[in-house]
Amino acid sequence: MMEAMIEIQGLRKNYRGIRGLNEFSLRVERGDLVGLVGPNGAGKSTLIKILATLLPADSGSACVAGEDVAKTPAAVRAAVGYLPDVPGVYQDMRIAEFLEFFADAFRLKEPARGGAVARALAQAGLEERRDDFVEHLSLGWKQRLHLAKTLLHDPRVLLLDEPATGLDPLARIALREQLRQLHAAGVTILISSHILADLEDICTRIVFIADGKNVNEVQAAASAAGPAGALLHCEIEWEGAAEAAERVLAAIPGAAIIEKKGNWRRIELPGGAAQASSLLRGLLDAGVAVLHFDARGPGLEERYRRTFGGRP
Amino acid sequence: MSSRVLGFFRISNPMIRKELRQRLRERRAWLLPSLYLLVLSGTVAFCYYMVVQEGTQRGTELQGADIGQAIFYTVVFTQLAVLLLMAPVFSAGAITIEKEQRTLSGLLTSLLTAPQIWWGKFVSALLYLFLLLFSALPLLALSFAFGGVEPLALLKATGAMVLVLASISAVGLWCSATFRRSVHSTAAGYAIVLVLTIVTAVAFGILLAHWTHSLGGNHQDAPPVYVQAPLFLNPMYPFLSLLDDTDLRKFAYPASSYLLFTAMGLLAAAFAIRRLRRSGEQV
Repeated sequence: MMEAMIEIQGLRKNYRGIRGLNEFSLRVERGDLVGLVGPNGAGKSTLIKILATLLPADSGSACVAGEDVAKTPAAVRAAVGYLPDVPGVYQDMRIAEFLEFFADAFRLKEPARGGAVARALAQAGLEERRDDFVEHLSLGWKQRLHLAKTLLHDPRVLLLDEPATGLDPLARIALREQLRQLHAAGVTILISSHILADLEDICTRIVFIADGKNVNEVQAAASAAGPAGALLHCEIEWEGAAEAAERVLAAIPGAAIIEKKGNWRRIELPGGAAQASSLLRGLLDAGVAVLHFDARGPGLEERYRRTFGGRP
Repeated sequence: MSSRVLGFFRISNPMIRKELRQRLRERRAWLLPSLYLLVLSGTVAFCYYMVVQEGTQRGTELQGADIGQAIFYTVVFTQLAVLLLMAPVFSAGAITIEKEQRTLSGLLTSLLTAPQIWWGKFVSALLYLFLLLFSALPLLALSFAFGGVEPLALLKATGAMVLVLASISAVGLWCSATFRRSVHSTAAGYAIVLVLTIVTAVAFGILLAHWTHSLGGNHQDAPPVYVQAPLFLNPMYPFLSLLDDTDLRKFAYPASSYLLFTAMGLLAAAFAIRRLRRSGEQV
């Protein structure tokens, strides 16, 4: 078994009588990139704040990089990089000064301090603007600067709370790319976001959370193909008359047509990969000229809708 | 002393450098001292004019020592009044500004400890007040040219001012650690300064009237300790004992006042650091 970088057992947290977390448990292994998904008020930010040592838990335990967040918070802070949902910056500081201050706050000594600041400036793409005031940066650049500041002390674990909020598409793409690189470099990442497409794209695992509890877990990497026997969505397009294709579809047990446009259908197959391949074989045997056939598990958005669809 | 304690007090604390850098970049960094010295200079000129005018009207020969003392006490009390008004501005907004611009979480999740953050804020707020205080020393020293004031009086007045301002700044920081918004913490800071200056004086007045009444309205002695007690927390009290005036010298318990201001400052610091440690919900 891989080393656990985040280990949470039965975590509880109440805010003035309102439950933030309710017996939440999670294990994140070294090198995982885990997405935390849930509706507003589900407990995502509370969980990340507890892991970042900003909030104490009422009960349960949480360890990050092998250190207990309640007992050895300084050791946890040394191992963790935390990016809040609305990252604040000192507008009246120069970009290099901002990074130097946090390098000092993480007790980096020369020459590591200078190296870390130079690396952060390069990562953020702000080398040319090191003497500009932070207030002159756009939101996307401020977010990049903040992420660079978060990485100054080479954290082994990154805790990102809605990092893409307010970013334009290009900044989101750049952020996604940067997270991919960090993941490839072995950094363990826990990221909460409402932008499901981004999570689906980069995460190795997705954890659903609602009312402070674990709801469901998805192996994001496996979701595209879908394991045998699991529910699949299948898109089919053919040329010619519809009768033969309709007959084959009607013969598949449990198959349901979700969407229909001319000679194009989206079908839900409860029998997974085996049923998808027998459908394709049936269509070909019936002489249907298949132009397009794509079978995959329902996306994260669909799973989210199924899990939280009834919630306000 | 452990390295941890030394690290807390060292001047190279990154918080101190950050705070001073940001503070000195503000326009008020040069505007306030200029205005402050202008007000004090005007007050000194007015005081000199009044003393000379009064001497001329009385037709008595004016002593240089009278002018020296008048200038000294006028500058000391004007300084105290102005700096008491400024102290909450610098301290009460120091931590709330981090909450408002969403930067407190960055500090709390770094390796800076809550006492280090507090110390950085405290030193920078106090250093700016000291800049104002010490920039007025040449005006205070004017009184030496006329005579009537000993250097020891200047030292005592400056020492008492440093203690009072440090204590008020610590209280301001406690307000700042407690409230979420600068406007609320500054209002609370001013309310506390008002209670210390006005309410304690009113309480003293009531007790003094009661005590005088109990003696049949005829007394020559200094009021007893219990009558003076409310004034021990009045920022003006330590300075009354400095005055070379027989009536005012009756307020002769400055040590009690120093002790109370020290205790108030230490308590405020302890509560502010405790609040800062628990401010994760406010970020």
